[in-house]
Amino acid sequence: MDSLQLGSYEFSSRLILGTGKFSSTRVMLDAVRASGTQLVTVALRRFNREQAEDDLFGPLSEIGGITIMPNTSGAATAREAVRAAHISRELSGSPFVKVEIHPNPHHLMPDPIETYEACRILAGEGFLVMPYIPADPVLSKRLEEVGCTSVMPLGSAIGSGQGLSTAEMVRIIIRESNIPVIVDAGLRSPSEACAAMEMGCDAVLVNSAVAVSSDPVAMASAFAEAVQAGRRAKLAGIMPRSGSAVATSPLTSFLGTAS
Amino acid sequence: MDMISINLNGERREIPASSSVVDMLELTGAGRQQVAVVVNERIVRPDERATTILRENDQVDVLVFAGGG
Repeated sequence: MDSLQLGSYEFSSRLILGTGKFSSTRVMLDAVRASGTQLVTVALRRFNREQAEDDLFGPLSEIGGITIMPNTSGAATAREAVRAAHISRELSGSPFVKVEIHPNPHHLMPDPIETYEACRILAGEGFLVMPYIPADPVLSKRLEEVGCTSVMPLGSAIGSGQGLSTAEMVRIIIRESNIPVIVDAGLRSPSEACAAMEMGCDAVLVNSAVAVSSDPVAMASAFAEAVQAGRRAKLAGIMPRSGSAVATSPLTSFLGTAS
Repeated sequence: MDMISINLNGERREIPASSSVVDMLELTGAGRQQVAVVVNERIVRPDERATTILRENDQVDVLVFAGGG
């Protein structure tokens, strides 16, 4: 069976879904079910009794077959990310952490230096570390060397819907990597997720494209099918490009030759 | 009743002196929620909450999982 291996965990789904920006918890839960995802991201937030429905841990746990991957959103430094990871593990019991350190709220680009340091510490503590990173092949290898479980290069800016603008760098990362490569952020449509999988990505992480669509449940299902199609195409072996036409039908003339 | 002032999730809050973390969670409506509790940057695990007594000016954070990408 073709499965996504992350640490000791095996997932049959290669679609990771974020849980932010949905219009309601109910819609988010329905989208999670429709996506067939087995790994979802969540964020830490201060408890507010006026917004008790913000607490997603219980509802997500009730779906069954879902592993939670807390992120470190809000952290601007390695120290803050490590602290967030410790708190999240206490709350979830999950060994996964999505290391996400973006100090600038205007572009949300990940800080590679702080990210590297946080990953080094957390991998050493036994976390399954999944860093959100710039599409940088050198950083990717360094993160692999310190024990990250995967690398998650951005397709484009978080929530921008600008698609897989880093495609050529992601290709290099895939070629060089010995750990799973997951495109995270910026994907807008299922065709882009399919293209990422055809390229050789091991999974994709999507949030905004599903959450802010007109019908998040239907879009979650569409992404699931696109990811599956892309993966199957990759495994089937995509034909090479040719610089010239190659006929698919015989070109030998037969019309008018009979006498 | 003697009261103390703590900083709870970024806001000042008066609670009875000698309150434990469990008491504080009940007062804030989080008693039945699955939460993480951090007091003065130290994580207080569930089995420590009944015996952890809050003190004047403690910095307390009560955290849950919300939606995030």
